[in-house]
Amino acid sequence: MRYRFVFFWVVIVAVQLSLLFPFYIVNPVGAAGVNQLKLFEAVMCEEIYADTPRNPTSVFSVSREKAVSFSVFDPVPQKTFIYHNWYHRDVPSARIRLQLKPPRWSTYSSIQLRKTDIGPWRVEITDDKGKVYGVLRFSVTD
Amino acid sequence: MEKLFLFLASIRWQDIIDISLNSYILFRFYVLFRGTNVFRVLIGMTVLWFLQRIAISLGLIVTSWVVQGIVAVGAIIIIVVFRNEIRRVLQAKNLKSILWGLSLKSAVAPTEIIVESVYSMAKTKCGALLVFPGKEDLSDAVRGGTPWKGLITKEMITSIFWPDNPVHDGAAIVKGDQISAVSAILPLSDRDDLPSYYGTRHRAALGLAEATDALVIVVSEERGDVLVAKGNRLREIRHKQTLEQKLREHLGTAAVKKEAARKEGLEITLAALLSIVFITGIWFSVSRGQDTLVSLDIPVDYTNRADGTEIVDTSVKSVSVVLSGSGALVKSVTPDQVNVRLDISNAVIGQNSFTISPEDISLPPGIVLREVTPPVIDVIMDETIRKQLPVQVDWAGKLSPDLILLDFTINPETIEITGGRRILEKITTVYTEKVPLDNLSGRGEITAKFALNPAAVKIAPGSKDKVTIEYLIRKRE
Repeated sequence: MRYRFVFFWVVIVAVQLSLLFPFYIVNPVGAAGVNQLKLFEAVMCEEIYADTPRNPTSVFSVSREKAVSFSVFDPVPQKTFIYHNWYHRDVPSARIRLQLKPPRWSTYSSIQLRKTDIGPWRVEITDDKGKVYGVLRFSVTD
Repeated sequence: MEKLFLFLASIRWQDIIDISLNSYILFRFYVLFRGTNVFRVLIGMTVLWFLQRIAISLGLIVTSWVVQGIVAVGAIIIIVVFRNEIRRVLQAKNLKSILWGLSLKSAVAPTEIIVESVYSMAKTKCGALLVFPGKEDLSDAVRGGTPWKGLITKEMITSIFWPDNPVHDGAAIVKGDQISAVSAILPLSDRDDLPSYYGTRHRAALGLAEATDALVIVVSEERGDVLVAKGNRLREIRHKQTLEQKLREHLGTAAVKKEAARKEGLEITLAALLSIVFITGIWFSVSRGQDTLVSLDIPVDYTNRADGTEIVDTSVKSVSVVLSGSGALVKSVTPDQVNVRLDISNAVIGQNSFTISPEDISLPPGIVLREVTPPVIDVIMDETIRKQLPVQVDWAGKLSPDLILLDFTINPETIEITGGRRILEKITTVYTEKVPLDNLSGRGEITAKFALNPAAVKIAPGSKDKVTIEYLIRKRE
């Protein structure tokens, strides 16, 4: 009788726990599979206005003085860092570290444009282990 | 003795053909032109050439210049002045007689008939002038003349010079067994040591004999004498046998046949031997002298590269080769006549060292390789691979300040390229050639080729060699 009582309460507690933490209990592997960092949007633009990219383009005149790489990550499972790696004709030019916070995060980096920067560029968005989430390509012109 | 064997071993079959061919050409030259003034002048020119060489070796600058000038002008003079003789040899003879035949004599003149006719006319004091050409062309010396082309008979000759015949006043030209022309006008000798009883006919006979190698028979109209003009001499011939012998000697037929044949055989054999000796001497002086050195920079060609590999880098692009040979040959050597080909069929991926051997270098005949610098070449080989890479447009120029490139698409977005693994590992993007923005507006489509860098990178077979870019340009907000 006593054992039946203990078994009953163990089952009740288990059901309650499963209701409280359904993901971890039902699909413990999913922590690494579904709820992982994902690049939601990435775009090159001339400036950021009210936390949104303005004048998205792939051609930046030196006279505009600035190029901005904007990226949105969703989901962001945990506080982490990503990198915007700027390359001018395959030659690394800048590596900018940006922080991401759960559950969704927008961030951007920018470079100042000079005459010597004219040519094709790309921005590789990676994590600290070098995993590439996306590549943005653009040109700096006269 | 050892040097002799080494020398004999160094003679190639091409050298033997070289000497033989040129000796034969010289020999044929002698056979075709012997006895003519051309040959005599050529001998003179050769003597002058030797004099020039001696003058140069002795350091006689002005003398060598003068002789060189004479030789240079002389070559032109020979062609211009003796054009008829040269043409006669080259045109009148068939190919066989030019390349092989030994005698220039063709049809045989019937000397007995001629001699009989001559003395018959002398007996009746019928004046006559008969010309027997030698090897020289008479067209420059003899003027006028009526073509005749009649076979020689006693009646024919006597009738030509019969005083009532319209063509009797002039010379008859005898070629072979025919009288080729009559009433020909001969140049007159201007000698002042001739007997006073010699008339115009005698002066004409001597004039032609002096100018050419022809033999001329004169029958005196006043005295009934028979005279023969040859060279600078005009001799009276009293006996038929003597005239016949003179005629046969001149025409190359003969009672003198045996002796003449023997002499001619000796002459020809000697000429052949001298031709060989002369050409061999020239060949030695030209090809065997090793007194001159020259250094040339020659680019290296790499051959027999294995499929699927390519040359990434080499320690040198060209090598310096030092060559020796006779001055004349070395001076004529140009870099494109020398090839350095390195067989890299045994090369492996990575660094390889190849030693350049004499077999890798091809040289013109007669030139000897002395030194190669550097003797060893390092060649870095790489494996040829294919790689799919994204294409990026290299925009250039400037859009109007109020416009912005809103969007564009590239087709194809990626391209497959081929090249060495080491090179391709460093390449992450294939760029287009510069695409100018200046005249773009609105929506449109343009094509652009790829700007592959380095040049060793190629578009893989089967891939497109250009991209299509669709763009959308709007006014800036």
